[in-house]
Amino acid sequence: MTRIHRLCFVSWCLLLPLLLRAGTPAFDQRVRSVVGAYAHPLNSSPPGYANIAAKLWLGEDAALCSRRLEELLAAGPTGDMFWMYPVTAIAYLDRGQLTDSARRSLRDSFRTYMPYRGDTENHWVMYYTSLYLMAQLWPDQDGSQWYTGKSSAENLREAAGWLESWVRLTTTRGQGEYDSPSYMGYYLLSMSYLAAWARDPDMKKRGSMMLDYLIADYAVKNLGGLYVGAHSRVYDREVLEKWNVASSDFGWLLFGLGYPLSPPSNAIVFYALASAYQPAEILQRIATDRSQPYIHYDLKRTRNRWRFFDQLHGPVYKTTYVRREYAIGSDQGGTLQPIQEHSWDVTWAVPDPRGVQNTLFTLHPYSSLDELQTYFTFPPDIGISGVVSSKKSYDSPDKFVGGSPYEKVFQDEDTIIVLYDIAPNSRFPHINGFFSKDLTQVREDPSGWIFARGGDALIACRPLRPYTWKPIEGGGRRLFSPYLTNGIIVQVAARSEFADLDDFRRAILMLPLEFSLDPTPRVRFHSLRRRTLEFTYGQVPLVNGTPLDYAHWPLFGGPFLEAPVDSELLILKYGTMRRRLDFHRLTVTDSR
Amino acid sequence: MRSWWLVLALLPLPVRGQYTLYTCGSRTKDYVVGAKLPASGIFLKPAGGQWRHAGFNHPFISAFDFDPRDPSIVYAAAGNGLLRISDGGERWQILTGSDVTELLDVAIDANDSGAIYFSHTAGIKVSHDHGATWQDAASGLRRKYIAALRIDSRRAGVLLAGGEQGIFRSQDGGKSWRLAGAAGIQVLHIEESPHDPCFWLAATQGGGLFDSTDCGVSFESNDNLGVGRNLYDIAFDPASPNRIAVAGWGPGVAVSEDRGKTWQLRNTGLPSTNVWSVAFDPAQPGRIYTSVHEDAIYVSVDNGRTWSKDGLPGSSIFRMKFVPWTSHP
Repeated sequence: MTRIHRLCFVSWCLLLPLLLRAGTPAFDQRVRSVVGAYAHPLNSSPPGYANIAAKLWLGEDAALCSRRLEELLAAGPTGDMFWMYPVTAIAYLDRGQLTDSARRSLRDSFRTYMPYRGDTENHWVMYYTSLYLMAQLWPDQDGSQWYTGKSSAENLREAAGWLESWVRLTTTRGQGEYDSPSYMGYYLLSMSYLAAWARDPDMKKRGSMMLDYLIADYAVKNLGGLYVGAHSRVYDREVLEKWNVASSDFGWLLFGLGYPLSPPSNAIVFYALASAYQPAEILQRIATDRSQPYIHYDLKRTRNRWRFFDQLHGPVYKTTYVRREYAIGSDQGGTLQPIQEHSWDVTWAVPDPRGVQNTLFTLHPYSSLDELQTYFTFPPDIGISGVVSSKKSYDSPDKFVGGSPYEKVFQDEDTIIVLYDIAPNSRFPHINGFFSKDLTQVREDPSGWIFARGGDALIACRPLRPYTWKPIEGGGRRLFSPYLTNGIIVQVAARSEFADLDDFRRAILMLPLEFSLDPTPRVRFHSLRRRTLEFTYGQVPLVNGTPLDYAHWPLFGGPFLEAPVDSELLILKYGTMRRRLDFHRLTVTDSR
Repeated sequence: MRSWWLVLALLPLPVRGQYTLYTCGSRTKDYVVGAKLPASGIFLKPAGGQWRHAGFNHPFISAFDFDPRDPSIVYAAAGNGLLRISDGGERWQILTGSDVTELLDVAIDANDSGAIYFSHTAGIKVSHDHGATWQDAASGLRRKYIAALRIDSRRAGVLLAGGEQGIFRSQDGGKSWRLAGAAGIQVLHIEESPHDPCFWLAATQGGGLFDSTDCGVSFESNDNLGVGRNLYDIAFDPASPNRIAVAGWGPGVAVSEDRGKTWQLRNTGLPSTNVWSVAFDPAQPGRIYTSVHEDAIYVSVDNGRTWSKDGLPGSSIFRMKFVPWTSHP
C-alpha cells in the first residue's frame, strides 16, 4: 500500500460519517469504499482472501498478494463453497498481477481440495458458479486435474446445467431460500460473478438478468434499506435489530439507503469486485419511492422436503404491505423452512436503525426432530443437538426465530391475524411475542388491546389469551402466553391518520371483533381498512366473505412487480417505465 | 487370448484371509458447512497396520460398498455424490451430477456385473455400466427418502429398501416395489445374513429390529431389541451363523448368539452406549470393532464381552466394513 493510497483511505474513513450525514455518496464512491475497507483493513491481521481480492481489484501490492495467497493455500483450504468464491474472484482479478507460482498454487488447489457442495440453495449457487468459472478459466484439462475427477468440459457442463435449472425454477416457482437478509448477498455475488466473468453470452446474460430479478425482489420489500416481512432464514440478532445484517450493505450500496455495516459484509465486497452492477433507474425508484402505500404479493418455495411430504417443494404465499411509515409482511405460517424461518412482522421506519429494534411479531417456539428430518439427513439422535451446536436458540423456549406447524397467518393490507393451535405434546406449549425496547407509549388497555407507537406507526395488538411479560436480555419484553389455542390480531396505522394514540385507540375499539378459541381458534374482525376478515385455524381466510385465492397467487403481483407463475418473466413497473425480463428468451426490454 | 490373460494379470488380486477395515465418518463435532473441517470421510486400517485417513476430506459419507469382482474399488455414498474410490482410498472420482445430493446408501449387485445402486434424499438410482450412466429406480415408491438399500445375494435386481414408511422390496431392479414390513417406520439399515440368504434384519428409528425369514418378502418385529431407541447397524458374524451384533443409541452393542431370538447388551469398556456401527473381523473369529459417538473406534477380542480403545479419537464412524485386501500389480 503506497502512502498516497493509505492517505486516501484514511481520509475516506474520516469523511465517511460526514458523507453519511451530509448525503449518500454516489454509487461509484460507495463501491470504492466497500472495496477499500477490504483492501486497506484497519486491523493488522495478515490479509485473507477477501483482502487479496480487493487489493488485486485496485491493482495494489501484487507481491504481497501472491505471497499471502500461497501461504493461505499451503495452510490448506477450508470452507467449501465459502472458500471457492473468494479464490474464484482472485483467479479472475489476477489479470497478470500474481506470480506464476501463486497462480499454480491456486490452480492446484482445485485438484487437491474437495469442497463439500453443501445442503442449502446458497451453497449450491456459490459452488456451481465457482466451478463453472474455474472450469471456464482452465479448459481442456482431464479429470486428473480436478477434485471431481471430471474433465473441465464435464465440470462446466454440470455447473451450467444446474445454474440454468436453478434460474428456471426460481423464475417459475420462486426462490427456495427466499428473502433472507443474511444470505441474499451470496446469490447476488454469484450472479455478479456470472455477469462479469462468464464468457458464454447466454450465461453472462442470465447472470445479469438474475441480478435485476433478485435486486427487484429485495427492492420491493425494503423500508429504508431494511429487509421487511417474512424471511426464509434469519438469525437471532437481526430478527430484532433488523439493520444489523448483510442486507443493509446491499441497501446502502445498491440504492444509497440506510447505513452499511462496519466493516461491510464479506458478500458485498465480492459483489463489488465482480460486476459491481448498478441497478437501473427503475429499480432505484422501486426501492426508494414510498410516497404511496402498496401491497405486494409473491410466491416462493419451501426448502427441499426430503421426508413426510409427497412434494419436494410446497408453496409459500407472501404478502407485504409497505408505506413510508411502516411495513407489514407475512407468509401463511407453518414450517416452510427449518430452524430460521420468520413468518411475519411489523417494521416501522426510523431515521437511523443502528441499535434500534424497530419490529414486532409473535411466534410459537417450535423445536422438533420431525421438522429437522423433513429437511435434513441427520441421524435422529444427533438432529437437535447438531443444530443447537451452531443455531444456539433452536431448542430454546424463549426463542424469537423459527416457524411452527401450529401457527397460521392471515394478512390483509396492514392487518394481521395469527392463530395458534398447539399440539399438547409440543415441546414448548406457549407463544412468544417480541415487544421492543424502542416501542413508545405502550398501553395495556382494559379492552384487551395493547396500544403502542413505533416511530410514526401506531400499533394495536389484541392477544386472544391472557399473557405475562418476561424481560429480554438487551431490552424489551417478551409476551408469554401459555395456552394451546391462542392468537393475536395486529392492526397498524400511520400516525398521520389520527390525531394521537387516544384517537387511534378509539377507532380500534369501535371495530367489530368476534373470536372464539375452543375447540378451534376463529376470528371475525372488521379492519381499520373497512374490510371484514374471517379466519378459522386451518381454513382458507375470507375477505368480505370471499376466500383468499391461493390457487392464483402470483409469482409477483403488485404495483411494482408482476410475474405469473411458470412464466419465466418478470415485469418491473414504475409509472410509465417498464423493464421486462424474459428468461426464456434471455431478453431485457425497457420502455417508458 | 493372450490379451485376455494380460488383462487378468493386471487386475488386483484378493489375498486370501487378509482384509482392510474401511470406515466412513467424521470428526465434525460442532461443524457447519463452511467451517474448518477436521479429518473426515474415509478412514482405513490395513491388516496389521495403523488407522489412517484416506483421500479427500469430506464431511458427509454415509455408507460404502466394494465391488466383489475387484475389491480395490470402493463406492461411497457421499454428500457430493457417488464416489468411486481406488488406489487404497486415495483416488476419488465423483460419478454423479447435480441431480442427486446427500447420498445415503450404496450396494453393488454381485449378480449383475457393473450394476451399482445407491439411495439418496429423493430416491434410488441404478447404473449398469459401472457408473457411466444412471437411471431412476424409485419411481414406484411414493416417498423417496431411502436410508437403507441392499441387494439379494442370490438374484440380480432383487432389492430391499428402507425408507420413511417401512421396508420395500423390488424384484425387477427398482421398477416396481411392494411393502415388506415395518409400515410407517423409518428404516435406518438392512442386512442379509451371509449364511442364510433368506434371513434378513432391518434396524429402525424407534421401532426396534425387524426380521425376515422368507428371503426379505416380509418382515416382522423382533420385539426383543431397541424398541423406542434408534438402531443404526447390523453385523452377521462370518464365523458363526447364529451370532449377530446390532449397534444403536441406548442399547450400545447388542449381541445375539441364537440368530436374534435373545440379545445381550455387551458394553463393558465402552465409554457410552451411543454407538453407530459394528463389524466382525472375518480374519479373526471373536474380534469385533465398534464406534462410539464422538469418541473412538473400540475393539473386542471376545465377541463384545469387553472392549478397549483402538483408534480414531474424537470420531463418529457411521459404517465399517472389511474389504478383501488386494495386491496391486
